[in-house]
Amino acid sequence: MSLSKNTNDPHLPTIPGNENVQRFDPWWWMFFAVIGLIGLLAVIRPDPYWRILKFVKDGLGTTVLVTVITFLLVLVVGLFGALGRLSRLKFVRGFTTVYVEVARGVPLLVQLIFWYFAFPSIIKDIGEALNIRAFQTYLANPIAMAVLGLTLCYAAYMTEIYRAGIQSISKGQMEAARSLGMTYVQAMRYVILPQALRVILPPVGNEFISLLKDSSLVSVVAVADITRRGREFTGITPLPIETWTMIALIYLTMTLFSARIVGWMERRTRTER
Amino acid sequence: MAPIIQISNIHKHFGSVHALRGVSLEVEKGEVVVIIGPSGSGKSTLLRCINRLEEFNSGSIIVDDIPLDSAKNINAVRTEVGMVFQQFNLFPHLSVLDNVTLAQKVVRMRGKVEATNVAMRLLEKVGIPDKARAFPSQLSGGQQQRVAIARALAMNPKIMLFDEPTSALDPEMIQEVLDVMLNLAREGMTMVVVSHEMGFARAAANRAIFMDEGQIVEIAPPNILFSTPTQDRTKLFLSKVL
Ligand SMILES: Nc1ncnc2c1ncn2[C@@H]1O[C@H](COP(=O)(O)OP(=O)(O)OP(=O)(O)O)[C@@H](O)[C@H]1O
Ligand SMILES: [Mg+2]
Repeated sequence: MSLSKNTNDPHLPTIPGNENVQRFDPWWWMFFAVIGLIGLLAVIRPDPYWRILKFVKDGLGTTVLVTVITFLLVLVVGLFGALGRLSRLKFVRGFTTVYVEVARGVPLLVQLIFWYFAFPSIIKDIGEALNIRAFQTYLANPIAMAVLGLTLCYAAYMTEIYRAGIQSISKGQMEAARSLGMTYVQAMRYVILPQALRVILPPVGNEFISLLKDSSLVSVVAVADITRRGREFTGITPLPIETWTMIALIYLTMTLFSARIVGWMERRTRTER
Repeated sequence: MAPIIQISNIHKHFGSVHALRGVSLEVEKGEVVVIIGPSGSGKSTLLRCINRLEEFNSGSIIVDDIPLDSAKNINAVRTEVGMVFQQFNLFPHLSVLDNVTLAQKVVRMRGKVEATNVAMRLLEKVGIPDKARAFPSQLSGGQQQRVAIARALAMNPKIMLFDEPTSALDPEMIQEVLDVMLNLAREGMTMVVVSHEMGFARAAANRAIFMDEGQIVEIAPPNILFSTPTQDRTKLFLSKVL
């Protein structure tokens, strides 16, 4: 495209509207500036910065793991949620609507606490009542409960994003597909969703970034993510300024990078048609 | 042989709107029927009932000996009946070729080569084989509608339904679409066409139907219906459109 020509030849004037498409846009500068800052601090003052990095390293893995697994689940659950919201069956529609309203109406932190602290007690009570041994000794796995809580909450928002995307496709598309003999599932798969995907990509990308940040809440429910590791570090070594600066920079690196990826995917779906 | 479409006494309500009020109609194999009538008279609804894009409340429709009742029958009927819409409804994210091959592959289970061959033959037939790699947004309205016809024909339908196929087109593109339809009629395709193109009706249709307020008011060969209608409502309508 004309963009590449423009960036390769310094004599060509910038095309109006394309100014932001430089070889290295500000976002990348910021990304590398943040990485550079982290590296610089670690090299110049390895104590405490390098120590902090080493200490929270495995927490970083947990944060990424929780975020990615949750996001994949959210993509699937949200799709079914949207199909439920658009179902012709009143019962299904009602059920998903109640779910969406509840999941969006209760603070995420409260939901996470519920799944980790209240839900296992419920299971145990049921176990006592029905005398089921496996239930009585039930022990909640922190990461599993955190993923469950995050998924149920975020899938509610994703449901609405998918629904809006699907509804933005004209009714005639579904009718044309059905009139050719396609089943509902085939029409969704080959006709509606590929078109809806383009519409929902930006909000879905934003959800990923929000989720990445909100995953820090799981530190409250015994998951050793990077935020919790930070708290543990300051518990041992009272260096709150250094620790939380470092952790903020690490989150910033990840969100800036994700935003770049989302932007790149958006541009790709827009040009390939 | 039994008529290929047998509609008897169907009623359709949209909430308080009584869109079809006891419509009965039989269409023979190979016959071309044109439906005219004022806006809101139920023409589209009738057409859409034939392939069950719309459910009717009472009465029965039998298409090619298949009664429209169970979900299985509905899909069977839909593969026998092609439909062309006023707004074309091409799939904008697919190339022209993919528009015409998609349903062949996923519904008719044809392989890529066969589906492509069928598609190219039909694109040739509607006069735009050179646009196979283009996307719908790059075509004129008339070209898009011809692709839509090719897409429907690719399923080898026994019946083609057209709902005002030319009324969204610029005047200079209407004829190219009508020509394709005319050819189809000459080849013996059974067609039900909602259209106010009187020239097309005269040239292609065996019968013309005037609908008003959810009922069939009058049926006659097009020449007779257009020149010497017997019903007052038909006369009034024709005096307005002609
Ligand atoms: N999905 C719907 N919901 C509610 N009412 C509808 C719906 N579709 C059609 N109707 C009503 O049913 C009646 C018949 O509509 P229909 O579209 O069949 O008319 P038509 O003869 O095709 O008109 P036009 O020439 O404007 O296309 C109209 O009163 C219309 O408002
Ligand atoms: Mg209509």
